[in-house]
Amino acid sequence: MQKENEITLEKKGDVTIMDIKGDITAFSDPFLNQAYQEATHLGNRKIILKSNKEAYINSGGIALLIQLLARIKSNDQQVVIAGISDHFKKIFDMVGITKFAPIYDSEEAALQNLAADTK
Amino acid sequence: MTTNLNEQKVIIILPNIIGHERVAMASSASFAKMYGFSPARIEDLKTIVAEAAINAMQHGNKGRENAEVVVTLCFKNNAIHVDVADQGDGIAEVLPKPDIERIMNNQDPPVGFGVFLIQELADEVEFNLDSESGHSLNIVVKKNTG
Repeated sequence: MQKENEITLEKKGDVTIMDIKGDITAFSDPFLNQAYQEATHLGNRKIILKSNKEAYINSGGIALLIQLLARIKSNDQQVVIAGISDHFKKIFDMVGITKFAPIYDSEEAALQNLAADTK
Repeated sequence: MTTNLNEQKVIIILPNIIGHERVAMASSASFAKMYGFSPARIEDLKTIVAEAAINAMQHGNKGRENAEVVVTLCFKNNAIHVDVADQGDGIAEVLPKPDIERIMNNQDPPVGFGVFLIQELADEVEFNLDSESGHSLNIVVKKNTG
């Protein structure tokens, strides 16, 4: 019954975009893990986690995202988040995700900020 | 018979299956819209109802497929009162606020976000109340915050 995620990967210069379609819940675990492994194999250090304003993200999904951020950090990669709704920006800020992954309104804004960041 | 529109109740009975919290989210959003809640406050309410229902399914009913979660919504005193009842024993303790730095460093497990979000987004939360059918969580979400 649970909707599965479809996650597409796209390379734009030195950035890989993980475009996550669907809701982010505990059921997203295998989809996020597989997509992240594939994204890492593409070789870029900079990653955009892109969702959309209609996505439902619950506590199970937040826990998965934090575990993913921890893996990204331990692999010395850089990550930002793009496209989520104002409500989930607020939620991510409350939880503390924004300390580790800045959030941008759009993929374009995320790309611009990553291009300007020479870390 | 006189009906007091300020104390109308909506009762939603959910099967104990993760995913069905979406039904309560949609119903609570419609209910809040009827009473003039702002779009931002409706989003808060949806998250509160979803996390309370998930908590009831996983920790209250402990995943038992034959159990139910009953979500009751009532508008009074310019707020929506949400009661989420399961058929379990209540919770022994409320988990502390998750520490994301410790979780990121694998020092803590990634748990406790649901209860944390309910506490952050709601105006009042009361845990571990006995009801006839089990444990219930009582939450007040005011129409206007601050």
